[in-house]
Amino acid sequence: MKENKKISRRDMLRMAGRGAAGVSLLAVGGLAFWKKQKPEYVWQIDPYKCVSCGNCASYCVLEESAVKCVHAFEMCGYCDLCTGFFEPEPRKLDTGAENQLCPAGAIERKFVEEPYFEYNINESLCIGCAKCVKGCTAFGNGSLFLQIRHDRCLNCNECFIAMACPARAIRRVSSNKPYILKGAS
Amino acid sequence: MGNNEKKVITDKLILVAVPVLIAIAVTAIYYMDIAGEAGNKLGKDFNYDVSKQAVASSENPLYEESQSPITTGLKNPRAVAVDIENNIYVAGDSQINIFNNNDKLIRGIKTKGPPRCLFISKDKTIYAGTNNTVEIYDSSGKEAGGFKHEKADAVLTSIAVSGDNIFVADAGNRLVARYNKKGELLKVIGQKDKQRNIPGFSIPSPYFDLAIADDGLLRVVNPGRHKIEAYTFNGDLEFSWGDYSSGVEGFCGCCNPVNFAMTSEGQFVTCEKGLVRVKVYDEDGKYIGLVAGPEQLVPTEKAVPCETPEQCQLGGFDVAVDGNGRVIVMDTLHNTIRIFEKIEIVR
Repeated sequence: MKENKKISRRDMLRMAGRGAAGVSLLAVGGLAFWKKQKPEYVWQIDPYKCVSCGNCASYCVLEESAVKCVHAFEMCGYCDLCTGFFEPEPRKLDTGAENQLCPAGAIERKFVEEPYFEYNINESLCIGCAKCVKGCTAFGNGSLFLQIRHDRCLNCNECFIAMACPARAIRRVSSNKPYILKGAS
Repeated sequence: MGNNEKKVITDKLILVAVPVLIAIAVTAIYYMDIAGEAGNKLGKDFNYDVSKQAVASSENPLYEESQSPITTGLKNPRAVAVDIENNIYVAGDSQINIFNNNDKLIRGIKTKGPPRCLFISKDKTIYAGTNNTVEIYDSSGKEAGGFKHEKADAVLTSIAVSGDNIFVADAGNRLVARYNKKGELLKVIGQKDKQRNIPGFSIPSPYFDLAIADDGLLRVVNPGRHKIEAYTFNGDLEFSWGDYSSGVEGFCGCCNPVNFAMTSEGQFVTCEKGLVRVKVYDEDGKYIGLVAGPEQLVPTEKAVPCETPEQCQLGGFDVAVDGNGRVIVMDTLHNTIRIFEKIEIVR
């Protein structure tokens, strides 16, 4: 016959404590899993609406804007006379500062083969002023465009550059697909 | 100082401080500019400004728009051509629309693919380039043949016909192909060849035009080099002309001219994108004058080349010249055909 075992108050408290700890562990794990599954929303610039006004450089709450120029190589013409790299009337097609369009010198020009050149953005120098974007869009294929870089962006509840955008080109997108890239098929 | 006196002073301070603080707050909100209305405040070094060149490129045109524009009737017009009777043909979508001298639509011909280029021969046979195919129709719009340009990634952007030769410009492969009327490939022209002193075509965007001049040479645009090159039918490069300049006498931007047409006197009428302008050069490439510049062609009061990305990417106008010397411009921004005549003729 089974003996009727009395549970002491101390044992009962111990068991209740263990139970509560297990439940909380499960809850925290579940919450973490649920958060990982559920997409968050981040701010991004729609390059097809952006009018390259330059407000992104000035209105971001960060001292150095989280907006940077990016390059869709798939769309680029690799031009010798790149209108995103050179001033409208360059004296010479070389990397002299007086010929470069970017005031921050953030675009690097690299010879590929005659007559093609590759252009890369040095993000540490780029301030997101969109001057190159305007030149490339007006005359070229529009392969240079602006994006909010999420390694810098604070993802403010009210994004200042979104409020200051005259084209309403900045909107929230899913964090699963945080960039709106041109030329991405 | 008694407690009462202290209280009176504090009350007075509060009475002054509160309105001052409110005034400061209201002024701060007023000047905060959260809507970005004050612009980027970056200074003139950060502004991209070609309005000076746009204005300079619009001065003293030799031509004037002589009549109201004609609506193309297409969603996405791509090419314009004229026939021997000065009927105007516009190609786009999957159709070719034909307008008579009174600007009336007389016929619409359905094509199999979306036409990107057009040529009308003297007997009014219609040659249309659609993707990698040349479609041929007779003057009544009946299918009269056609052939495939056997190249992967082909983008046919121009066609010209002379005798039994059909020349097609393939922007995708950066070459000109010479076919006979049976569709047999006779020659590939313009591929980079150091020994023959051929630099190769540089085509950053899908604009690559050609025409056959009365001197029997093929004229092909090399847009990345800002040149018009003359080739024999066998592919020998004879000479070239053209240079980069955002000044009105040269070709602007990365890659221009986008299209051109030839007059009966052998002059060249060129179209540029970016700074949208239509200009005339003589047979040696010497600048003669302006047909229309950005101020006449682009829909903005500020004479800037374009405002929105859509406008910027739509500047690839096409051009044709009819038997009366009228310049027929296909305006992709307004989706119309615009007709320009020499000012002395109009007045």
